[in-house]
Amino acid sequence: MGLVMKKDRRIYKMLPLFLVFIGIPLALWFLSDFPERSLLMDSLSLLTILAFSLLLAQFFLARTNRELVKKVKMSNVLRIHKFIGYIFISVIMLHPFFIIVPKFLDNAVSPKDALIRLITTFDNIGLVLGLVAYTAMLVIMITSFFRFKLHLKYRTWRTFHAYLTSIFIVAAVWHVISLGRHSNTAFIMFYVIALASGIYYLLRTYLFKPTSKSIKNV
Amino acid sequence: MAIESINGCIGCEECIKSCPTDVIRLDPKTKKAVITFPEDCQICHLCRLYCPVDAITLTPEKTIPVIVSWG
Amino acid sequence: MSKTKENKGISRRNFIALAGGAAGAVALASMGLPLGWAENSPEIDVEALDLEKISTEVLVIGSGMAGLFAAVKAHDAGAKVMMVSKGRLGSSGQTPFAKGIFAYDPDTEKLSIDEFVAQVSRSALGSNNVAYTKQMAEHSLDRVKELESWGFFDSAIYNKSFRKPIEERNIPVQERIVVTHLIKEDEKIVGAAGFSIDKQKVIIYEAKSVILCTGAGGFKPNGFPIGDLTHDGTIMAYNIGAKVTGKEWNDGHPGRAENAAACYDGWGNMFEQKPGTVSIEVHHDLGVDMNYKAYVSGNSVKMGHPGEANDNAITGGPYTPAEFKRENVERKPGPDSEGGRPPRGEGKPPGGGKPPKEGGGPPGMGGNVVGGSSAGMAIHKSEGLVPINDQCESNIPGLFAAGDALGSYMSGAIYTQIGSSLAGSAVQGGVAGEAAARYSKGVKNVEISDSKIEAIQEEILAPLKREAGYSPAWVTQTLQGIMIPNFVLYIKKESLMKGALAYIEELRDHHMGKMCASNLHELRLVHETANMIISAEMKLKASLMRKESRCSHYRLDYPEMDDENWQAWINIFKGEDGTMQFEKQPFGQWPNQDIVNV
Repeated sequence: MGLVMKKDRRIYKMLPLFLVFIGIPLALWFLSDFPERSLLMDSLSLLTILAFSLLLAQFFLARTNRELVKKVKMSNVLRIHKFIGYIFISVIMLHPFFIIVPKFLDNAVSPKDALIRLITTFDNIGLVLGLVAYTAMLVIMITSFFRFKLHLKYRTWRTFHAYLTSIFIVAAVWHVISLGRHSNTAFIMFYVIALASGIYYLLRTYLFKPTSKSIKNV
Repeated sequence: MAIESINGCIGCEECIKSCPTDVIRLDPKTKKAVITFPEDCQICHLCRLYCPVDAITLTPEKTIPVIVSWG
Repeated sequence: MSKTKENKGISRRNFIALAGGAAGAVALASMGLPLGWAENSPEIDVEALDLEKISTEVLVIGSGMAGLFAAVKAHDAGAKVMMVSKGRLGSSGQTPFAKGIFAYDPDTEKLSIDEFVAQVSRSALGSNNVAYTKQMAEHSLDRVKELESWGFFDSAIYNKSFRKPIEERNIPVQERIVVTHLIKEDEKIVGAAGFSIDKQKVIIYEAKSVILCTGAGGFKPNGFPIGDLTHDGTIMAYNIGAKVTGKEWNDGHPGRAENAAACYDGWGNMFEQKPGTVSIEVHHDLGVDMNYKAYVSGNSVKMGHPGEANDNAITGGPYTPAEFKRENVERKPGPDSEGGRPPRGEGKPPGGGKPPKEGGGPPGMGGNVVGGSSAGMAIHKSEGLVPINDQCESNIPGLFAAGDALGSYMSGAIYTQIGSSLAGSAVQGGVAGEAAARYSKGVKNVEISDSKIEAIQEEILAPLKREAGYSPAWVTQTLQGIMIPNFVLYIKKESLMKGALAYIEELRDHHMGKMCASNLHELRLVHETANMIISAEMKLKASLMRKESRCSHYRLDYPEMDDENWQAWINIFKGEDGTMQFEKQPFGQWPNQDIVNV
């Protein structure tokens, strides 16, 4: 009983974060005047947007968010961080395939041709950045999964993870802003603010190095 | 109004090439397809059918009243 | 300057008032009707436009079904080929919307080819050219098999399957090039000229022979996907002395009353379906009969089977031979849709995901329909260059035409065999390609004189250089207002056609040469509009000349068929003095009076 209560309280403490990273994109989605598509496609779009938003939230669901770590314990933060990472990176990994789903439903361009077209239109900077981000994202996920098999020092691994994430997220946000079907001004502002705050949290941790102390305090 | 919007364009130019009436052009800066001459859209949907990412939205309405033989 | 503009603005409004009523003009102006006369502020530097010269042996103009086979077969016959198109390979003209192709398979058909040709001739009331009817049937299966091997039947869009044979043969294709001129020196074809709508350059093509695969044309009518078909080939050829025919015939497709401009929606999901083959099914599909019904009963017509009760109230009108009345035609099940032919007579939606039948209205066509959806277009293969033989050759040495650009009368002056339009384009493309390759072998190098190039370049670019002028969109809309109403070309009578002709001649003499363009898109529209004006003149004059009713030509003042005087096609050509001349060519004869043999 007491355990449940404790858990509830922890989730309650994370609520503002989820409100920001799920609530805001949801609100922006419904407030924006996007051309209506099929329920399937709109669901896939929304899923992708939420997945991306939650990946942005990862900046704040990590050691970098000292306030949160203080409130809910590092192990719990890590658990959530891992959960969101694995689940939603998988969603984002699938998003190029979501895009070509309509091509399975008509007799025009074949899904294969559409996918090839999609990932080979190199004269578009947004697409190139998307490919960069996709690759970085894959590496992030694989290295996280096999973290202990890599036999890296914790700090080395953490630095590697942070820098790769930075490359990923900057390329990804740029990619989303330049190509996203639903990237209107409101969404762009949301992404940029989230990215800027995330990078700030990261820099604060790495450049000013107060982390080790604060962690010991936990 | 005929061809209404292009969202999520990847700049592959399929729609530009496949439009029989030259309605869509590529924006040289953004490298994206732009609805440039919507008044010439014949609402044939070829652009949408050729688009690999289903980015194009069309509606059956036309802003300029159309001339028909009777009716 | 501003004063001039103001004055012209007023005169323009007066003109609209004459054409459509002042109230209409005000309403249209408030809805963004393009300005009539206005100052021109070019977005591009005309003087900086490049000039490119390209040489080939066989130049194929147009990239639809006919163009595809013309290029492939000319190449296979050993010629150096180049294809040039205003649009995109497999995505321009009517080809992308044609979903049924006729294939005469001797193993499955009950009728022999000769019996089939005879049946078409009965429906066409003698107006078909039996050589071309037979040729289409004979070659259709081979062309269909080739298309199948290229993947044509695997997708609803045709660019990929069309690209396959072209890329395998390394045939150069130039897309989005508006060809405006055919070039003749010493009475022979020597090439063509046009401009790119993307690259700011004029291009001169030197060629030993040219095959026009430029399709038919209309007045950019609403509700039919022929906005890029403006009779370019026919008029270019007419301008250098080629004979053209078939201008009095009319395609009578209706569209939906609601959102009449939306051709995709009017055809249901047909544009998204994969093509299929069609077996023998000969009709006498008029379309003008519906226009007659609407004309007599006053307004929009309910789609329905022509044999239904509401039909009986109206008597007279265009004649359909008893054998081909819809109720007498046994409808066969199966994927027998028709290429390029949306709804004609009935409103039954197609079943089972099969391509809709020709004559069957697409889903959603059950409501009120309006006419003029294909206004300005003649019957497939009836309108275009006059062939001097069964090799798609025109009266100008080296100039060939195939498909809807050739007035082959393959189907006659009425649409007969469903799916034969696409098949005929494929077959004629192949025939013309081989013939042009043969012709080219006997031609030494061709050269276009610099003076001619200079003059043509000047003509092409003139609209960009005009400081002020009429917008092509406005001239087109004026033309549409004159030509599309059903009492002009569908239910014809002398007084109204003469009235319309006066307007058209006004456009020809005082607007055609005064249109301006500020960019290459508008430059294309200017040239297209000019072609439509000349075609309108041809249509009215040919219709005035044919004082009878037959097939898709219906004269209210001459409602009967006149076999004594009118077992003949009308050929149109430019006289020595530049005026439009007309002559009769008896049915069943070539221009040199040889009998057409089957």
